[in-house]
Order: sequence, then structure tokens, then C-alpha cells
Amino acid sequence: MAKLSRRKIAALWASELLKGRDITGQVAAYLVESRRVDEATLIVRDTEIALAEHGVVVADLTSAYALSADSREAIEKFLAIKMNADKVAFRESTEPSVIGGVRIETAGRQLDATLKTRLNQLKASKI
Amino acid sequence: MEYYTQLTVLAATAEASADEGILAALGIDWMLLAIQLVAFLVLVWILRKFVYPVFIRIIDEREEKIEASVKAAEIAEQNAESAQENVQALLKEARKEAKEIVATAKDEATAMVDASDKKAKARADKIVADAHDKIEKDVIAARKALHNDTIELVALATEKVVGQITSAQLDKKVIDSAVKEAR
Repeated sequence: MAKLSRRKIAALWASELLKGRDITGQVAAYLVESRRVDEATLIVRDTEIALAEHGVVVADLTSAYALSADSREAIEKFLAIKMNADKVAFRESTEPSVIGGVRIETAGRQLDATLKTRLNQLKASKI
Repeated sequence: MEYYTQLTVLAATAEASADEGILAALGIDWMLLAIQLVAFLVLVWILRKFVYPVFIRIIDEREEKIEASVKAAEIAEQNAESAQENVQALLKEARKEAKEIVATAKDEATAMVDASDKKAKARADKIVADAHDKIEKDVIAARKALHNDTIELVALATEKVVGQITSAQLDKKVIDSAVKEAR
């Protein structure tokens, strides 16, 4: 079996997702079979980039507390405008060490508005 | 009386001789006189020929020596005068040079003192300037350290305080504010 490139796998996976078919299990099986499990993270990122190119943005949200519906909506609108997206999906996680605020990560872009980062920036401003 | 007698005899004799000739009366013999004259002339000739030249030569030499000595003495005197003048001139020159040397030494000493003063002043100025620079650098370093310590303290305090006072409600405001800022 010929080895598919990471970009082709991502493009195929994104295409299928856009068509409403979830082939995640098949992609996982292919990666296991072809012993390319360690490329999984990169393939997921490439898939998200491919989805973004088609107007679907997947964002990782990290905050100290669970996001409220209002905050989630505001972030969704923000990403829709900034990334010209028709649809926005979130993967949320809470991380108390960020203290406050939110970190938004999409394929290839990041907005870190956490208090922890701002405090680190303040510390980094030492002369 | 006796004396008178002798004069009388003598007068008588003279009177007699006058008759025979005066020379004879005087007892002069012509032949003897001629021989003596010739002998005298021969003696004169011999003296003139052999003795006088030697004496004259010796005298001339002596005179020359004396003249030479006189001239030498004159020359020596002139030399002494000249030497005296030279000595005076040399002394004058030496005094002049000594004065010049002293004046030059004074000038050099003054210049050295001035240079030393200038050097000392420059060194003192440099020390002061260095001290100012060091103080300024120390002040800047202290300000930086204070600045950094303040930032560290503020960050630490903020982290501690904010970590305790934040709530979901406050966090929502922070998130909304951040999203608005990002737009």
C-alpha cells in the first residue's frame, strides 16, 4: 500500500467531515497500520487548517473557569469575523494555572489573553 | 832755595835743547817713533782683522739675543694681556652662560611645576568624573534593580491576590474585555 502524505490525509479527512461523514476511526486505523501514530497530532492540525480554508474553524479554548454561554458566543463571533469562518467549533479545557482570561488556539494562530501570560509579559519587561 | 835751583837748571836745559830741536829736547827718537807707529798700526790691523770681528760678532749676537728676548718679552706681555682679555671675555661669557643656565633652569622648573599642577588637576578631575560616572551607573543599576524587583513583586502579588479573588463572574468580564480588545 502506497504511503499517503500527511497533507493528503488531512485534505481527505477534512473533505469527509465537511460532507458530514466522520472517518476518524478509519484515519486512526490507517495511522496505526502504517505505524504513523506519532504523526497524529500534526495530521489533526493539518486537517484543522484544511477545514479553516473551507470556513470551518476548530478552536482550543483554555480558561481558569468553565466558559459562560455569553463568553463562548462572543469568542465565536470574534473568530467568525477574524478568520472569515462560517462555522466555529470549540474544544474547551479548564486550567486554573492561567488564573483568568482565555487562550484561544486555532490552526496556526493563537490569542493568549490569560492573566498568567500577562503577568509573565510583565515579568519579562524587566530591564 | 833748592827748589829755585832746580828750576833754574831745568830752564837752562830747555834753553839748550831748543837749540838742538824740540823733539830731541823732549827725548823723542824718530826712528823709535816710526817703529812704534808701525807696530801700532800692525797691532791695529791685527785687532781689526782678527779680534774685533769676533768681539763684534759676539756683541751682535748678544744684541740679537737681547733684542729677541725683549721681543719675546714684549710678545709674552702681549700674550699675557691677550690672555687676560681672553680670560675676562671667557669669565664674562661664563657668567652670561651661568645666568642663562640659571634662568633656563628656573623656567624649566616653573614649567615642570605648572605641568605637574596641570597633571595633578587633570588626574583629580578624572577621579571626580570617574566617581560621578560610577555613582551614576550605580544609581542606574539601583533603579533597574528597584524596577525589576517592583515588577517581580507586583507580578507575584497580583498572581497571589488575583488567583484568590477571581471568580467565574470576574473571569467572564476579563474574557469579554480581551475579546473586545482583540477585535
